[in-house]
Amino acid sequence: MRPSLSRPLRSALPAAAVLLLAGSALRGAGSRVEARNGDDPARHAFAFTRGIYSESGRGWGRSWAIDYPKADRQFLTVLRRLTILDAYDSEHAVALDDPELRRYPFVYMLEVGDMALTPEESAGLRSYLLSGGFAFIDDFWGTWQWQNFAQEMRRVLPEYPIVDLPLDHPIFSSFYRIEEILQVPSINNIRRGRTWEQDGYDPFVRAVFDDTGRLMMLINGNTDLGDAWEWAEQPDYPLKYSTFAYQMGANAIVYAMSH
Amino acid sequence: MESVFTFLFKYRPLLFEEGDVVFQPPLPAVLLLLVVAVAIALVAWTYRRPMAKARRTDRIALAAVRVAAFAVLFFCLLRPALVLSSVVPQQNYLGILIDDSRSMRIADDGGEPRSSFVAESFAEPDAALLKALESRFQLRFFRFSSQADRLEAVQDLAFDGGRTTIAPALDRVREELGALPLSGVVLVTDGADVGADLPDDGTSALSESLLALRAAGVPVFPIGIGRESYDRDVELSRVSAPREVLKGTSLVVDLMVAQTGYSGERVTVLVEDAGRIVGSEEIELPRAGEPTPVRVQFTAEESGPRRFRFRVPAQDGERVLENNEQEALIHVRDVREKILYFEGEPRFEVAFLRRAVAADSNLQVVTLQRTADSKFMRLDVDSATELFSGFPTTREELFSYRALILGSIEASHFTHEQLRMIAEFVSERGGSLLMLGGRHAFAEGGYAGTPVADALPVSLDPRFSRDTTFFDTVRVSLTRAGAAQPALRIAASDRETAERWRSLPEPTTYNRVGALKAGAVALLNGDGRQTGEQPVLAWQRYGRGQAFALPVQDTWIWQMHADIPLEDQTHETFWRQLMRWLVSDVPQPVVAAVASDHVAPGDPIRITADVSDDRFTKVNDGRVLARVTGPDGSQQEVPMSWTVGRDGEYHATATAAGPGLYTVAVTAERDGRVLRGSPVYAWAEERRDEFFGSQMRAPLLRRIADETGGRFYTAANAAALAEDIAYTGRGATVQETRDLWDMPILFIALVGLLGVEWVYRRWRGLA
Repeated sequence: MRPSLSRPLRSALPAAAVLLLAGSALRGAGSRVEARNGDDPARHAFAFTRGIYSESGRGWGRSWAIDYPKADRQFLTVLRRLTILDAYDSEHAVALDDPELRRYPFVYMLEVGDMALTPEESAGLRSYLLSGGFAFIDDFWGTWQWQNFAQEMRRVLPEYPIVDLPLDHPIFSSFYRIEEILQVPSINNIRRGRTWEQDGYDPFVRAVFDDTGRLMMLINGNTDLGDAWEWAEQPDYPLKYSTFAYQMGANAIVYAMSH
Repeated sequence: MESVFTFLFKYRPLLFEEGDVVFQPPLPAVLLLLVVAVAIALVAWTYRRPMAKARRTDRIALAAVRVAAFAVLFFCLLRPALVLSSVVPQQNYLGILIDDSRSMRIADDGGEPRSSFVAESFAEPDAALLKALESRFQLRFFRFSSQADRLEAVQDLAFDGGRTTIAPALDRVREELGALPLSGVVLVTDGADVGADLPDDGTSALSESLLALRAAGVPVFPIGIGRESYDRDVELSRVSAPREVLKGTSLVVDLMVAQTGYSGERVTVLVEDAGRIVGSEEIELPRAGEPTPVRVQFTAEESGPRRFRFRVPAQDGERVLENNEQEALIHVRDVREKILYFEGEPRFEVAFLRRAVAADSNLQVVTLQRTADSKFMRLDVDSATELFSGFPTTREELFSYRALILGSIEASHFTHEQLRMIAEFVSERGGSLLMLGGRHAFAEGGYAGTPVADALPVSLDPRFSRDTTFFDTVRVSLTRAGAAQPALRIAASDRETAERWRSLPEPTTYNRVGALKAGAVALLNGDGRQTGEQPVLAWQRYGRGQAFALPVQDTWIWQMHADIPLEDQTHETFWRQLMRWLVSDVPQPVVAAVASDHVAPGDPIRITADVSDDRFTKVNDGRVLARVTGPDGSQQEVPMSWTVGRDGEYHATATAAGPGLYTVAVTAERDGRVLRGSPVYAWAEERRDEFFGSQMRAPLLRRIADETGGRFYTAANAAALAEDIAYTGRGATVQETRDLWDMPILFIALVGLLGVEWVYRRWRGLA
């Protein structure tokens, strides 16, 4: 979700400010953010890992941390109830240029419309994907953001095109049977009575495959699954969107861990 | 030495051994004694008186020499003679058994083939040895290689037999000539009898043959042809290769290499498939005479029955080249083997394991993965109904897979019957079981005390049941047993493989496994930060099958870790090879086999079949048929009969009429249901065994001579054979007396003694 001065967010401003400051400080000081809960994400079969990346001056300077960590925690809570996944139950973020990322074969990245990867991050993401990692991309809108992201990916994986993913792909039936791609709005937009942002009227799911046909990157465009995870408990957020967002998340994780 | 003896004593030592020395004095013995007494008295009287200058010792010495000279004379007067039993000329028979095998073509004696001795000694009518033998005996010639036949003319020998078998040849001669007065058997051979190398426990064919000859009183006189050792030779003496592999399998084959004259030199062992080089290994030749194992690696790329040739190119100065190569007939199967992987939770090991073998068209990893309580995902199934109800509940269903991988799935998920079925999948069906580490595997998964625990190569401690608190990181190293295992070879050489294992990123484990069971081996060890050493990959045979334990949970780190280059194939290679090992040698309900996959044309192909039904219960009342297709497409259908001795075992024999490939397909029918086994193959060609260990085998031939009362000869001393047999052989004999009084040694002794006396006198100034 792109922060705005709408009422719901104004109420959360203090917490968000603290979080963003913390995220920014951590980005500058190191390349990992781990909860201080005494647990170790490496001890679990799965850790919901956010990719920390650089962005252009047009962004917030911390786009990777949008919805963080509430979306992560809520998503993990539901995921652990729905599946028997041995998941680390807290947020976890690692920079794309940190070799530690290679210990976590699933990475979540959002707000990639302003992504501007450093050469190190670009190389890190490339080797991550080609060595077996799976990237789940979310929450970017409209033509300009798509073009920016697609351009970044051409730098990362120039030889692998981004293709539309048809609904008969196994990822849409790996846990739940998904028969329709919904446009999942941010909570601000749903309160304004619309599901789109900028000129992103139609949601899409695209993908990048490697030479063997392995799905390396799942791209959810013109949609904001993270916001649906984050605000699923809000009574005014429609259940069908949060349900779809959880279904997509669960399917992607189960698929990535079995294919 | 013998010639010196013969010169001095007139006759060869053998005659003294065989004969008796007697005395035939021309005068009565009393008279001779009187003459001797007078002579001695005369000597004593002569030397009794003091002589000028002569001291007492001079007189004693001269007297002693003179007495000795008289003693020699007296010995001659006694007229000693040698009494010998000599065969009656032309009254006795002599069997001459000539080696007709190809090793007789080896030119190891000054460039002349071994067979030239036969030509020179027996083929020419005026050959000295032949004439000497013919003058004394009735000769009966035989030739032998793998079997013995009468030989009408020595010129008929072709020296093309594929194998030397001495025992049946000796039996044949004994049986054919046993009723005649047989003086003995001359055995002309290089002794390159491979069968004679078998441990002699008193029951081997050769021992029995020699015993029979000894009982019949027939001595054997072997003439050893050829050299006992070569100056320069390289020999590939043995190849150990599987008879059946999956297409694309990386094979490691053991060869035995021996050499003389090339110690320390480096040579290349080549592996060829239909003339195409598919592998090579440079090796350093071992010390002379010490056969050393050598390993070569190659990939079986082409399917079907393949004849792989292993050879060392001819070296400088090497005379025998036929022993530089070995062949192995390997059935390369291009089939897709099904492995069932049952995983109890979502985890990346599933994805990476499946990816690692995805490109292998010969492996099908059917995956059943639990994703939520009572919710399963099926991957790579053949039909909509396969595993529809979850893990198999019947033997037919489970036993249709060749291997089973259990992931992090707790024992309590299974019924007791299913747990027992899993153990029987290994012990009775002959399948492979691999248990992976995980929170719900091994003791932590509650397997202690279950039938599955019995099958595993490691012991499980029930104290850890359902305890998921343990977590450790382990550094992996290859054990000595693991180094010998081709499936764990992940680099080009043994040394690089060991280093590669040591340098791999450390996987983690939730499992504390106990000690290895008796008979189990650790192939990979792990050095845990908390627990110290424990197996990372252990293996054991369990009944007909094999069981593996891999108590780590994230081998995917060997693919994904930042230290692993993108192009690195270690993870893929490990899993591909391990999976191929899992499905190797896993039997089908009908398993056919041939006793030897290399036979000589005309030899029998002995076929056995192990027959079970779909549940892998042995079938003794099936209608079992072997269809043997020859190289020309002709087919023989041979009914197979139950051996009675073992459940489900049938046997039959077909014949390899001519050279080429024979395909044996076995079918079993019972209650209208037909089961087919995988075809097996036999290759018929003239055997080359002759050229391996082809040096003249003097110890073996000596043994034949010693145990039958004969004598061993070489080409160098064979000229004496006729005379020796005449005096040492059996049959109709007559006594013959030969004078010994005129032996040169006596004359030399007499002259010598007189000479000594003369020199003594001159020295002492007594003359």
